[in-house]
Amino acid sequence: MCNISNFVLDINNNVMKKSGLVFLVAILVVASTILWIAKSGVLSGVDVLQIGVIAVLVILALVFGYRRLTSERRGEPVEDELSKKVMMKASAWAYFISLYMWVFMIWLKDRVTFDTEQLLGTGILAMAVIWALCWLVVYWRGIRDE
Amino acid sequence: MNNRIRELRARHNLTQEELALKVNVRRETIVFLEKNKYNPSLKLAFSIARVFGLPIEEVFQMDDDE
Repeated sequence: MCNISNFVLDINNNVMKKSGLVFLVAILVVASTILWIAKSGVLSGVDVLQIGVIAVLVILALVFGYRRLTSERRGEPVEDELSKKVMMKASAWAYFISLYMWVFMIWLKDRVTFDTEQLLGTGILAMAVIWALCWLVVYWRGIRDE
Repeated sequence: MNNRIRELRARHNLTQEELALKVNVRRETIVFLEKNKYNPSLKLAFSIARVFGLPIEEVFQMDDDE
């Protein structure tokens, strides 16, 4: 209980502004997903898949937020030149891959019965997954000779 | 590009975290530098060399094939 109240106090603190934002977005995503599940009643296979992907992305966001939080507590900058370069490179890769993903989705639309909401939802989730994968690949490979 | 950060850090009795704080980067950036998985900016390279009190070319060296 004491830890929770300390955490809430820390969120108000300026030191934790940026990490707090990651946690806030994760909470909003979880809340929206719960509302969506409660409203839709019976879930289709695609819905279950989408919920699974959202869960993975939320876990990744929490890990990301925790890393930033521990950096802040150690007195290190939340972002530095390496993390910015990894982010930029991952975003550039994800952008190009996402373009091809949308072309594929348009091709798929004429062959599979998808309603527009499902198509857009799947596409947006796929973009998030592509970005997360690109970030992981760039992070593990490192950035050399650039 | 190669560097002697690990060796110099040990000689100056500094942890990765302490060096990171001195040059104002995250600890993982020092980890990446020591593993040669990241080439630093000129500014960071100069900052690191200054911490060790050495000229930049004694901390960072180019590979022969580069």
